[in-house]
Formats: sequence, structure tokens, C-alpha cells
Amino acid sequence: MSQIAGHLEPYLVLAGILFSIGAFGFLARRNAISMLMSIELMLNAVNLSAVALGAFIPALVGQGIAFALLIIAVAAAEATVGLAIVIAIYRNRKTPLVDEYDTMRQ
Amino acid sequence: MSLVSTLIRVASEGGESAAQLPEYAPLLLILPLAGFLFTAAIGRRLGKLAHLVPLGAIVATWGIAMSLAIPALLGDLGEHGASSELFTWIASGSLTFNMGIHVDALTGALLLVVTTVGALVHLYSVGYMSHDPGYWRFFAYLNLFMFSMLLLVLANNLLVVFAAWELVGLSSYLLIGFWYTKREPGLAAKKAFITNRVGDVGFALGLMGLVAVFGTLDISTILAGVEAGQLAGPAATVIALLIFCGAVGKSAQFPLHVWLPDAMEGPTPVSALIHAATMVNAGVYLVARMSPLFAASHEAMLVVAAIGIFTAIFAASIAFTQTDIKRVLAFSTLSQLGYMFAALGVGAWVPAIFHLITHGFFKGLLFLGSGSVIHAVEGEQEMPKMGGLAKKIPITYATMLIGTVAIAGLPPLAGFWSKDEILGEAFKFGYAWVWLVGMVVAGATAFYMFRLMGLTFWGKSRVSESVHVHESPWTMTLPLILLAIPSIGIGALLGFPFADGILVHGLEPIFHPANVLLEHEHEAWTLFGIDGLLMLASVTVASIGTVIGVRLFRSDHGDRIRAITARLQPLYVGSKNRWFFDDLNDLIFVRLGTRLANAAWWFDRRVVDGAVNGVGALTSTGGRGLRQIQTGRVQNYAFGIALGLAAMAVAYLVLGS
Repeated sequence: MSQIAGHLEPYLVLAGILFSIGAFGFLARRNAISMLMSIELMLNAVNLSAVALGAFIPALVGQGIAFALLIIAVAAAEATVGLAIVIAIYRNRKTPLVDEYDTMRQ
Repeated sequence: MSLVSTLIRVASEGGESAAQLPEYAPLLLILPLAGFLFTAAIGRRLGKLAHLVPLGAIVATWGIAMSLAIPALLGDLGEHGASSELFTWIASGSLTFNMGIHVDALTGALLLVVTTVGALVHLYSVGYMSHDPGYWRFFAYLNLFMFSMLLLVLANNLLVVFAAWELVGLSSYLLIGFWYTKREPGLAAKKAFITNRVGDVGFALGLMGLVAVFGTLDISTILAGVEAGQLAGPAATVIALLIFCGAVGKSAQFPLHVWLPDAMEGPTPVSALIHAATMVNAGVYLVARMSPLFAASHEAMLVVAAIGIFTAIFAASIAFTQTDIKRVLAFSTLSQLGYMFAALGVGAWVPAIFHLITHGFFKGLLFLGSGSVIHAVEGEQEMPKMGGLAKKIPITYATMLIGTVAIAGLPPLAGFWSKDEILGEAFKFGYAWVWLVGMVVAGATAFYMFRLMGLTFWGKSRVSESVHVHESPWTMTLPLILLAIPSIGIGALLGFPFADGILVHGLEPIFHPANVLLEHEHEAWTLFGIDGLLMLASVTVASIGTVIGVRLFRSDHGDRIRAITARLQPLYVGSKNRWFFDDLNDLIFVRLGTRLANAAWWFDRRVVDGAVNGVGALTSTGGRGLRQIQTGRVQNYAFGIALGLAAMAVAYLVLGS
């Protein structure tokens, strides 16, 4: 812990990589389930950076963790609602592919 | 009569300052209005009986009007008359317009003419219109007109006067265009209505000016304010002239005179009632009613006098050569109305109203007589196709001769008294030019009226063989006889002794404020002095006109008349074509107006509509373009969000810290 404690950057880099993967996945995957998973990835990247910042910056001690917990709770709620929507659409349109969901256009 | 005076006195004791009118006074308005509504609603089903209710209503109105007008003229209603407030018409913020009626000697004078001629014209129409399919419609319109005209003279608020002013214009429009299936009456009705609009714009602006100055349109308040000097100088001139614009339109004075000759396309009873005896007098009444306002501005008075006397000679010069019997009378009406305005303009208020009364009777008589002539020759109006009718229709001939002598100003008939007073006062107040032109017009009037008589009744008959000339039924001749009586006697009744008659006594208090503003002093009337001389001069001129007219047209002097007209060819052509005034109007207002309207239409279509439609087109094209980026796909939106976030991050990095 102590060795790592001196280096905040690797955590932020990892968080950045995770967020980028998530963002790319959200924009590139056509499957709604994959897109939801990508969102989770991005949220967790943010959690990781929040916890890391809370651990390394004395002024933010405790706050990072509290923030991360809040995000986890919101993410759980969001995943629930998101999945429910996806299932509803799937039942309706018989496909999980979002580029075929273009009802809003008409 | 005595009952009425008692009622009025009892009422006035209870009131505060002005005497109260008896409670039945509003019936003057209610009866004709009810007659109109009744006939308009079910008149069609009554067929040949449709005249009963309207005629009854007007005869009853006549009775009530006499019971008020006679005490008013005799001064039994008090110097400033009696009034009664009916209801508040409009209350808006600090502005309140009340509906009330007021009867004083001036109103009485008009009631006398309006209801008497009105009742007789209703009776006459029973005969004259008997074969017309629009019988019931005619009587409905006549009652509407009577209501409007009575409202005009009775109202004590200028806004109500203005509304009535428009109502008489509407009834006039409806009655001129009564035979609406023919082209000319329709055009004439429109011409009358539109020409009147021009003057009414001025009237409306004048009313706004009065509201701006006094904050009310109550006539007595305004007149009291003018007397107290609250309105003077240029403001008074402007407001007086604007109101005079309305009078010029309604009373057909130059340059808005063009509608009245064309209005003769209407049925003859209408010409007699509206376009000779009553409605066209509304302008004279208005100026007389607002006399202190006009007296407060020397310039306004000068304009009134100038327009009046110019119209008098202008119209008389046209009447010389017209061949349509009704048009001669129409131009004669213009000329006599010009006389009244000239009298108002020089401050001869009482003679102006006096002439209004006498002219109302004898011109109504002449028009009804001309209608009887037209009826006799089965619809012919051109005098060259008449001639020699005197023996065949003796009652019409006798009564029309009385009317002609009356309008010519020969004593002792009605016209002499009023015309002589106008000329005399014009001279004594120092308006020698008005007097001089007035004398010429007096001679001219006598001449063209005897020309009319000669062409119609004297000489050889030029009536077509197939026409069976016949005297009119009693419903038409009785009104002629009844109108001949005042045409003979009303002048002496109201105007004798000179400058001291009933009318002078009745009207003097009303015009006193205006005379104070004008600083006019009335000297005693002297038979063996200036007044006697002036009277002799006016009678001489009238006699000369009469003698020339009678000598030329007594029997067929076709060759002599042709020789005279040939020598005066340019004048003859000008007069015959009404000095080309209609053509001038056609050129300026119709042709140029059409071009201007077309240009405005083009501008409206291309520029105004173009701008409006352009905005619409821009929005819809823009919307159609922008719709392309709304794909409805979640990932496109997400991409947009990502790009936006990235842009914000870059901006933060570049601009931040």
C-alpha cells in the first residue's frame, strides 16, 4: 500500500483507460445489453478515480469513498431501470440491437 | 297644448336648473324605431297594408313633436329649452357618454320641418309606391330614417349625434339604392355613402379634438366652455373646420356636392324627404348648434361663408341647363343649402334656420310635385319630353307654382321672408361680397325655377302620344296641398314683424353666446331705411329673374333659346356638364386612385406578404434541413453528447486556469 500510496497517477491512468473502453463500447456496440455494461464500466472508472483521489489527497480523505458509494447506489438503480427498458423494448421489437430502435424518428 | 305647458312647468319646478321634458318625449324616438322593427320583421306578409303601422307611427310622432316644438318655438320651455337624461350609453374610465334628449327652439324648428314633411311624405308614398314590389321595405327604411333624423336633432351629446349622423347616412344609402336591381341607383347609393365618409372623417377628428379639450362631448358643457374662452385661437379654428367637414359632406356643399344630384336615382318621396327637406339640413343644424364654436374663430366663419356662397352660385349656374326635372331641383337644393351656410358664416344664425324651415317646406313640395308629374307622364323625367301639362294635372300644377313662387323669393310667400333676411343681415354685417353674390343667386333661382315650370307645364305638349296623362290619386295630391299651405304662410307666420317675429324671439337666446363672441349688434329694423332698401333690391332681383324666365319659357321659344345658348356656347357646355366636376373627380380619385391602389396592392403582395411568407419559408426549410440530423438512433445522440463533453474539456484545458 505504501509504495502505491506515493503514486496517484497509475490509478487515474487505469481509470482513464477503463472510461475510454466504456465510452467506446457505448458508442460502438449495437447490442443494448452491451451498452448497459459499457455504462457500468464508465461508472466504475469514475468510482476508481474518486476513491484514488480520496485516498491520496489529504483534503479529500473520506469524501472520495462517500462519493463512490453514492455512485454505486445510483448505478444500481440506473442498471435496474435500464435493463427493464431494454427487456420491454426487446419484447416489443424482438431484437436487442439499438440501431433498429428508430421509432422516435417517425 | 296647455296640458303640455303645465306638465313642463310642474316638471321644471322639481328639477334643479334646466326644465325637464315630459315623460312621453322619448316616444319621438321609440315610435319610428318600433315602426321600423315591426315592418322589417313582418311587413312582407302584410302586402298592401304594410304602410299602416309606419304611417301611424309617424303621424303619432308628428303630434308629439308638435306638442313640444310649438312651446319650444314660443319660448314656453324656457330660454334654453328642456331636456331629459335617458341613460348612460358608454362609461369608460374618465369618459362618460350619456344618452339624453334636449328640446329648445332650434330643435323645435327642425322638429317642425322633419316631422311635418316626414308625415306627408309617408302619406304620399302610399300612392307613389303602390305598385312597387318592395312596398313594405320602403316604409321600413322610411321609419328607420325618421328615427335616425329625430335622434340627430334631439340628442344632447355629440357622440350620439355622430351615431345618428351615420344612421341617416345609412338610411339615405338604403333608399337611394332602393331599386337595387338597376345599375345606376346602386352606383349612386355608393357614391353618396363614400362621399359622405370623406366629410365624416373630418367630423370624427373634430369630435376627438373636442374630447381632448373638454373631456366630454356633452353639447351644453362644450358650448359653456367655449363661451368661457376655454377654446380659442388656432385650436378653435381647426376643430370648427373639422366639424364643418362633416357638415359639408352631409349638406352636399362644394367640393363634396357631387353625391346629391346622383341621389335623385332614388324614389321621388325619398328625394323630397331626405335629399331636400331634412337630412341635407343636418349640416346646417350642426353648425347652428355649435354656433359659439364657430363664432370663436373668425377664419372658420369666413370659410363657412365662402364655401356656402360659392356653392350657391355654382349650383345655380348648373341648374340653368339641366333637363332632368329632379336634377334641376337637386341643384336648386345645393344652391339653397349654400345660402344657409353663407348665412351661418356671416353670423346670420336666425335667418339661416328660418331659411332651413321655409326651404324644407317648399322644396319638399316641389319634389313631391315633380314626383306627381313623373307619375302623370308614366316615368319620364326629361323636361324636353313634357310641356303643356298645366291643364291636365291642375292640382300638381297649382301647388308647384306656389312652390316656385315661394323659392323665387317673391313676397309674400315663404321664401321671400327668409331669403330677404339672409341677404339683409349679410349686407349689414359688412359682407358685401356675400350679399352681392347672394343677389345674383336670388335672380338666378327665380329664372331657373320658372324655366322648369315653363318646360314642364307651359307651351305645347311634347309628351309621347302613347302616354295617358292623368292626375295622381288623393294620397299624393293631399300632401301637395298640405305642403302648399306652409309654403305660402310659414314665412309671414314666423318672420313677421320684421326682425321681431316668433322665430327671432325663440332662437335669439340660443344664438346669444355666438353673437357675443362675434360682437354683433342687432339694430332696430327700419322699413324706411337701409332694411327697406335691401328688401326692395332683393324683390327687384327676384322679379327680374322671374320675368326673364316667364317670358322665355311661357310658350315655345325654342329658336330664341337656341340662339342664346349658341352665343354662350362655352358657358352652356360647362354648365350642362356640371363644370366637369364629376369628370375631374373621376380623373383624380377614380383613375389615379385605382393606380395608387394597384401600386399599394403590388407592394402589399410582393413586399409585405413577401416578408411574411419569407419568414415562414425560411423556418420550414430550416426545419426540413435540421430534421436530417435527428436520426432517432440512440448512439448518434450519445455521440453528440460525447463530442460536446470533449469540446467542453478541450475548452476548459485551453481557456481554463
